[in-house]
Amino acid sequence: MKKKIVSTMLICAMGAMCLAGCRSTSDDAAATASTTAADAATTTAAAETTDAAATTADTAASEASTEATGTGVAKDDLKVGVIYVGDENEGYTEAHMKGIADMKQELGLSDDQVIEKTNIPESEECYDAAVDLANQGCQIVIANSFGHESYMLQAATEYPDVQFCHATGYQAASSGLSNFHNFFTKIYEARYVSGVVAGLKLNEMIDDGTITEDTAKMGYVGAYPYAEVISGFTSFYLGAKSVCPSVTMEVQYTNSWADLDAENQVATKLIQDGCVLISQHADTTGAPTACEAAGVPCVGYNVDMTSVAPNTALTSATNNWGPLFTEMVQDVIDGTQIPADLSIGYAEDGVAITPLNEKVCAEGTQDKVDEVIAAIKDGSLHVFDTSTFTVGGESLEDAIADGSLKDTLGDSYDAFAANVSDGYYHESETQSAPSFAIIIDGITSVQSN
Amino acid sequence: MPDSNNAIELKGVTKRFGSVVANDDVSLSLKKGEILSILGENGSGKTTLMNMLSGIYFPDEGEIFVNGQEVTIRSPKDAYNLHIGMIHQHFKLINVLTAAQNIILGLPGPQRLDMKSVDEKIDELTKKYGFELDPEEKIYNMSVSQKQTVEIVKVLYRGADILILDEPTAVLTPQETERLFEVLRNMKNSGKSIIIITHKLNEVLEISDRVAVLRKGCYVGTVETKRASVESLTEMMVGQKVTLNIDRPDPVNPKPRILVKNLTVRNREGLLALDNVSFDAKSGEILGIAGISGSGQKELLEAIAGLQPIEDGQILYTDPKDNIEDLTKKSAQEIYQMQIRLSFVPEDRLGMGLVGSMGMPGNMMVRSYRNGKGPMTDRKTPADLSKRIVERLDVVTPSIDTPVRNLSGGNVQKVLVGREIASSPVVLMVAYPVRGLDINSSYQIYELLNEQKKKGTAVLCVGEDLDVLLALCDRILVLADGKVTGIVDARTATKEQIGQLMTAGASKKQEA
Amino acid sequence: MKKKKVIHMVRRTGISTAKAWSIRIIAVLLALLVCAFVIVGITGANPIAVYGGIIDGAVGTSSRTWITIRECVFLLIVAAGLTPAFKMRFWNLGAEGQILMGGLATAAVMIYLGPMLQDWLLWIIIIVVSMLSGLVWGLLPAIFKAYFNTNESLFTLMMNYVAMQIIDVAIVFWENPKGSNSVGVINQVGKEGWFPSMFGQQYLFNVILTAITMILVFSYMRYSKHGYELRVVGESYNTARYAGINVKKVIIRTMCLSSAIAGLAGAMIVAGSSHTISVSTGGGRGFTAIIVAWMSQFNPYAMIIVSLFLVFMQRGSIQIATDYGLNNNASDIITGIILFFLIGCEFFVNYRLEVTTIDEEEAKA
Repeated sequence: MKKKIVSTMLICAMGAMCLAGCRSTSDDAAATASTTAADAATTTAAAETTDAAATTADTAASEASTEATGTGVAKDDLKVGVIYVGDENEGYTEAHMKGIADMKQELGLSDDQVIEKTNIPESEECYDAAVDLANQGCQIVIANSFGHESYMLQAATEYPDVQFCHATGYQAASSGLSNFHNFFTKIYEARYVSGVVAGLKLNEMIDDGTITEDTAKMGYVGAYPYAEVISGFTSFYLGAKSVCPSVTMEVQYTNSWADLDAENQVATKLIQDGCVLISQHADTTGAPTACEAAGVPCVGYNVDMTSVAPNTALTSATNNWGPLFTEMVQDVIDGTQIPADLSIGYAEDGVAITPLNEKVCAEGTQDKVDEVIAAIKDGSLHVFDTSTFTVGGESLEDAIADGSLKDTLGDSYDAFAANVSDGYYHESETQSAPSFAIIIDGITSVQSN
Repeated sequence: MPDSNNAIELKGVTKRFGSVVANDDVSLSLKKGEILSILGENGSGKTTLMNMLSGIYFPDEGEIFVNGQEVTIRSPKDAYNLHIGMIHQHFKLINVLTAAQNIILGLPGPQRLDMKSVDEKIDELTKKYGFELDPEEKIYNMSVSQKQTVEIVKVLYRGADILILDEPTAVLTPQETERLFEVLRNMKNSGKSIIIITHKLNEVLEISDRVAVLRKGCYVGTVETKRASVESLTEMMVGQKVTLNIDRPDPVNPKPRILVKNLTVRNREGLLALDNVSFDAKSGEILGIAGISGSGQKELLEAIAGLQPIEDGQILYTDPKDNIEDLTKKSAQEIYQMQIRLSFVPEDRLGMGLVGSMGMPGNMMVRSYRNGKGPMTDRKTPADLSKRIVERLDVVTPSIDTPVRNLSGGNVQKVLVGREIASSPVVLMVAYPVRGLDINSSYQIYELLNEQKKKGTAVLCVGEDLDVLLALCDRILVLADGKVTGIVDARTATKEQIGQLMTAGASKKQEA
Repeated sequence: MKKKKVIHMVRRTGISTAKAWSIRIIAVLLALLVCAFVIVGITGANPIAVYGGIIDGAVGTSSRTWITIRECVFLLIVAAGLTPAFKMRFWNLGAEGQILMGGLATAAVMIYLGPMLQDWLLWIIIIVVSMLSGLVWGLLPAIFKAYFNTNESLFTLMMNYVAMQIIDVAIVFWENPKGSNSVGVINQVGKEGWFPSMFGQQYLFNVILTAITMILVFSYMRYSKHGYELRVVGESYNTARYAGINVKKVIIRTMCLSSAIAGLAGAMIVAGSSHTISVSTGGGRGFTAIIVAWMSQFNPYAMIIVSLFLVFMQRGSIQIATDYGLNNNASDIITGIILFFLIGCEFFVNYRLEVTTIDEEEAKA
């Protein structure tokens, strides 16, 4: 992100010097820069919010319908405002735009009923945009970047009759505002499934004799050491481990949400370290490109990677925002209270994996995948099942009981501990943003800087 | 019909720059194998006219014939193709290259340069016309006259038959001028046609066959040199009879004002600019300072004005009450704070003396902006002073607020001199006070200097025209290569005597 | 007879003001016309409706108008700050970094002192501290320029990157919430240190600060001894030395003033508008303001017009991008076209083209 600002500044400077410059494009730079901070979600505030929002997202939804307040909005009068941090050229926002389009089709809204503002940076411009959309008569305003939250919150205070929905945030429950909401998908479910695909591939490689059980080591290109990333790679690892018990994983970070070169380099480094399969939580095609070059199988994120890695890409975990948007907008039409936190997974079609690349995937993968998805849907399989992993050699329950996680988790310890019950960690239930922020056994996490 | 005996013929050539007409309907001709002088005051359009022949400017109107054929000269390349070569007043050479490299620069040629055959061809040319030139010498090692030689050989090498020289003698010593004229005569004899732009009448009479005179952009006429005299040519140039006598009153009660002792100054490059210079300047007299340009005149005046670091020596100032102040190593700011009324009209008027983008009041403030208490400037007094100067010195300006860089050279100088004498200076230093000025303005400046002299000011005047210095000054100090080679009484000295002193240091250097 | 037309350019001298402005107005009209073609080409929409959209986006509602004013005021105060330095021919390309440092200082005051002090005291501290830290950022290159004659353009430009790195480090400390890699809105609940709303307008305070700054700067430039000195230094060091001006002192003093004002702009952005700090707080205004200052030839009234025009088009373009589902880059194209014509027309203000007919037949005869 800095590169772009730097180049923008240079261009501006040169332009200004020869008096032939054009308007600074730093807006775009800022927009792109902030995109990257978008997915960042943390566990810190969970502690404060536990009591306030002790209900799960699902139950909150059902409760909400009973306390339906308003009269609703006639569908023809409805106006939806959307604030994107990027535009269609940027994968994260592109997925949201697709979700909005799905919602529009699902509900039968016309084009002029949805006002979309692209490239809104995480600054007062977001507040400006939110107020502007409210002024234009939107009954619901949706923003998609993490850094938008405080500006959305500010606008929500000033426009109590308008619903403000914010992706990836965490402050809704604690804000005390009935018109401010957070939402996120249960992407960890899809990552678990993609992990299963990876595990089956590892088994195939062990059977071939390409690797041994002991060398079944995966690599993971992470963006930042934040809860969202940790939760993601843990679920991926658990998915792989469920079919290939001896697997281990090494994680390295790029410290950027989208940096093609860095992702490529980190992936290459991981392969040199002996990783035989790579996955990622970063937004570009850097890692799959490196894998394709090295002939190492890989699992992507957000988009189908077969275009850049036709011979190595297995599948990708993806978000499907359409159902979330549809649900929220439908609530506005019905006059139903939107829950403070909204999170959907496989059960509601909120997440998926891209079609398997038959050429690379192990035989029988599709059947196993279908089986796992069905189990997740019917609730018989919990991703963060505490019987499937250990922390520091002991079970998660024991670790919590003896307080050994207090140092790692700090302020968010209490909230974290409260999420552990019934033999599994209740990820994304109290709060839509992911919160599983500890490194479990079998994973080594290396801070690259 | 154009005459094919003419190397060049101009018909009704007009060139305008905005509202200024630089050349107005000029028609003149250069015969094959002659030397034609183009004579005119500064700003009369001589250089503009020649630039149109060499392809730098394009005429707005009129026709140009070369060897009887109408031509369109749109670039210097076109000019070369027509065998026209111009030697500009400011040389266009690359210092780090050799003479031969400069000469072939930009010429088409084989991939592999054969410098040996280039050198041979150059030697052939220099022998033919009597130049002295080593083709392998680097430009930065050359004297001004040698550089000029390179420029001339450069156009000859490119096959020029018609040569245009813009003020070729301005930078040369009398001896070097003589040598140049010899070469020009050789070229004429071998069939080249030559135009010399100049404003020095004596040289015109010496070298040329015919003289074409321009005045304020208009063509006045062409005369055979044999039938012309200094007086008749001056009259053609100025448009009226001019008395060329400069008044020289005798100094009254001269007292030393500036005493310079063993002054040594190094310039920015660390070279010795002034070497052990000692002299005094007295009240009520004009001390002329003569020398080939770059002999240390600039550094001398700037050292006194506090603008040049001094390596060694002393500068003492005696005020009208006979108090002696030491100005050595005082900055201009400190001299100002000592309330010493030392005025200085520098050589670089717009680059040092004036602020080109400001109007007259802003330029008056260069000396007076600190006056008055408080952080704000007084804007009324400078405006009043500007009006007085406009009135007294006949400054031609649309308004006192017109940026001075838009004024003509003479008016710029009047603004500068007017400001400097407005503070009733005790010492007035002027460098090349009439450079670029027309004859009438020049005489106005001489009068102003004499006026100051009569008021008892000590005037130091650096000049380039020895005839003028001899007529105006009381004493003349001659600098050669940073050394004082003589201080002579201007009433008895001769031009030849000063010319010898001017080159004394230089010849010593060559011997060493 | 064969005639050949030759076009050549002639420098104008003394063009009348009316003529110069009519050339500029023609340029604007031409630019709008070309934009119309581009818009029709991209969207197929009615260009007049599109221009309506631009006006609507810039001043369509009172909050849009205030946003336009807010952005305009930021450009103006930075341009006013650049003026003394540029008049001195000190090419300060570091306004962006100076804004950032001013903003950083403001954020620090809000974060550390916000809960402890009265609002009015905070505002004063913010203004003083932001100016001081902007000043430090300009002082360094000025000292190097004055004493070692280093190239100030490169130096100030590089200082921008240093400022960005420092902001990055500060974000690590002030990160809110943790892991967000951003500072978030500072003091969102209590609004400690936020510049006050006046008459219900939260940006009016900035407008007043800018107006005061501009009046002071332009009086300083025109009427003060310091202003005179810096103009002489800008014209020629030799003339300045000749006039007994301490060139080093003037360079340092002027650059302090220039960068302090850029620092104040940082305070206005952080305390008066965004209430956060990030590497994009400057938003390129340090560079856009250069264009404003140059295009207006340092005339304060022209500055207001130029910056209003730029912001107007910018805000308007954002609106049409939303209206017609265009990418924001499309609006940059429109701004680019307009700037091209505006800057290009200065050629015709300074030169005119003449066509001369040359008789080719005769030339060959």
